[in-house]
Amino acid sequence: MDSKEASQKQRELISSQLEQLLDQVRKEPTHLNYWNVHKRIQKLDLDALKVQDEKRIRVALLSSFTIDPLSIYIDIKSRLAQLHPEIYVASFNQYQQEILDENSRLYAFKPDVIILAVQADVLLNENVYSEFVKLSDVGQYQTEIINRFQALLSTLTARTNALVLVNNFMVPSFTPFGILDNKADSGFRSFFYGLNERLADVYKKSRQVYVVDLEAAASKHGKSRCLDPKLYYRGSFVFSESFLPVIADEYMGYIKALKNLTRKCIVLDLDNVMWGGIIGEEGIEGIQLGNDSPGNAYKDFQRVLLSYYNRGVLLVINSKNNPEDALKAIREHPHMLLREKHFAAIRINWQNKVQNMIELAKQINIGLDSIVFVDDNPREREQMKQSLPQVLVVDMPSSPFLYRQTLENLNDFNVLSLTEEDKKRGEMYHARKKREELRESISSLEDFLKSLEIKAVIKKADEFSLPRIVRMVNKTNQFNLTTRRYTDAEIRKMKEAKNEFEIYGLQVSDKFGDEGIVGVAIIRKEPKMWTLDSFLLSCRVIGRKVETAFLAKITADAKEQGVSRLVGEYIPTPKNAPVKNFYSSHDFKELAQEGNLYRWKLDLIKFTVEMPEWMEVKNE
Amino acid sequence: MSSSADEKLKDILAKVLLLDESKISDGMSRKGVKEWDSMAHLMLVSEIESAFEVTMDDDDIMEIQTVGDIKKTLKKLGITI
Repeated sequence: MDSKEASQKQRELISSQLEQLLDQVRKEPTHLNYWNVHKRIQKLDLDALKVQDEKRIRVALLSSFTIDPLSIYIDIKSRLAQLHPEIYVASFNQYQQEILDENSRLYAFKPDVIILAVQADVLLNENVYSEFVKLSDVGQYQTEIINRFQALLSTLTARTNALVLVNNFMVPSFTPFGILDNKADSGFRSFFYGLNERLADVYKKSRQVYVVDLEAAASKHGKSRCLDPKLYYRGSFVFSESFLPVIADEYMGYIKALKNLTRKCIVLDLDNVMWGGIIGEEGIEGIQLGNDSPGNAYKDFQRVLLSYYNRGVLLVINSKNNPEDALKAIREHPHMLLREKHFAAIRINWQNKVQNMIELAKQINIGLDSIVFVDDNPREREQMKQSLPQVLVVDMPSSPFLYRQTLENLNDFNVLSLTEEDKKRGEMYHARKKREELRESISSLEDFLKSLEIKAVIKKADEFSLPRIVRMVNKTNQFNLTTRRYTDAEIRKMKEAKNEFEIYGLQVSDKFGDEGIVGVAIIRKEPKMWTLDSFLLSCRVIGRKVETAFLAKITADAKEQGVSRLVGEYIPTPKNAPVKNFYSSHDFKELAQEGNLYRWKLDLIKFTVEMPEWMEVKNE
Repeated sequence: MSSSADEKLKDILAKVLLLDESKISDGMSRKGVKEWDSMAHLMLVSEIESAFEVTMDDDDIMEIQTVGDIKKTLKKLGITI
């Protein structure tokens, strides 16, 4: 008992020490502080902390140069994102040996992410640089580099399921051709542009290998600042102190996406964010928004927001204003790019913004940890940070000229694959608002459901639906009977094993719009018995009885194949209470419980699951 | 003047080598400080060079064994310390 308490105390102490150290880099993110804090974190007894598996991340760094300093940044930036990293840095320039030797420390480390950073120089014969002007067929050198990469990476991907991040090549600022580089048959810079393009093409379809755009990151930072010649010649450091945080952020975009730390929603203030000035005082003619400065900066800021919206980030308003004034501007101002239909939810009132935020999250059904908050008022930001630390509060610059850039620099909206559902998400939420308005106007649930004109399409998983299915399997918490998580590779294997598994996707639409794929079922098949290994539904469609339609279709398919018994599995979690009665409400009978696993059966000879009559089901 | 240069150096030494500033003395040596490995040495040199806006000679860098040696090298480069 005492020792239990003591270890609890010990853990709290370590956590608070860790937070204090991280505060040092939060306040003053200098290289010296990163170095210092990193060293001191390594001295803490971090193993004593209890960490959920989903917060752990193992990163291996392989490189042709001294990459140790990058590990400092990946380590600390992961911790700043609430992750618990374990990092392995391969010895200097040992990347090929580590990949080729199946007993290497790299594989023993069991990484989740492998960063492979190789310079073009080391892949080419030393003389290629100096003799470049005289070379006739430079295409063959591109081919040589690409082939070497492909050979290494195919070995690597065959031996590990880790996400592989390989950077492309920095296009040199210097060219021996001078002003004639793009007139030469094979210019020096053109060589690297071509190389980068070919590398990207090779891995365009890969779900394991991602080409990190080092060239773009370096251009953004300024190539002359990316390498510190002193450190380069003395110690083979390729990334300068000032570039390290920039390139580390680039890698963190992938790591955060892998660990589901993706933000999904931007909650926006109105005055001095969407336009300049105060709508309540200056009126629709007085606010700054248009084609002249500073109104053009606000318009440009809306343009970035709109581009995020178009790829699936939700936009929401949380503003202290008279709703009539603000809505008038949103509806009627000639230069507004964002209109009512672009917002998944709107809260314009005089209530505390924290309270609004809590209600908004509930209304659109997303976690506070998926939200980014944008407000020009430092006091509002501080209050939000204090009250809801899960929300990412952007430190907006005081000048609107820097708004756009600030938003563009966020690397928190990344996903590893963009699905059709992502691109339509904004529209779906708008349809949802309309649907809720209708629901309020109709008193009986049945009448409401009928009036929606729901259509369900139930299909076996294919190449198009698979990315979305993988995402749902890994993210759905509430309406999820077993909460079993499977990787992309595992689900692909199941899809191939047609005699053992069946994977279904459920797509739902109604008169307000298409929801895309919102349900997944994974069946384990035996000759006379099918088992529901996984059965889950997006919270977007809960309450429309589409789960009954989904189950009805599976039951019908099972009967058709001569199956006499359908077994449903259920594993309770703190989050999936909504499905507790799912099987009993569909006439399943309870079987013996095995530990945490509850099993239910439906005798298909005597029973069936009826298709809800108001629903139109299409088989494809 | 010299005291502020001294403080600047102490701040770097303390942060790179995880030392208590008040305990830093000229006699402190690479052998006696656990954290002072070759990577830390490079880091130290790089931070000192940018803080004092100088470039040390590679031979001098190799020969630095103590805090006093660092000061000697800086003096050679015209820094009052």
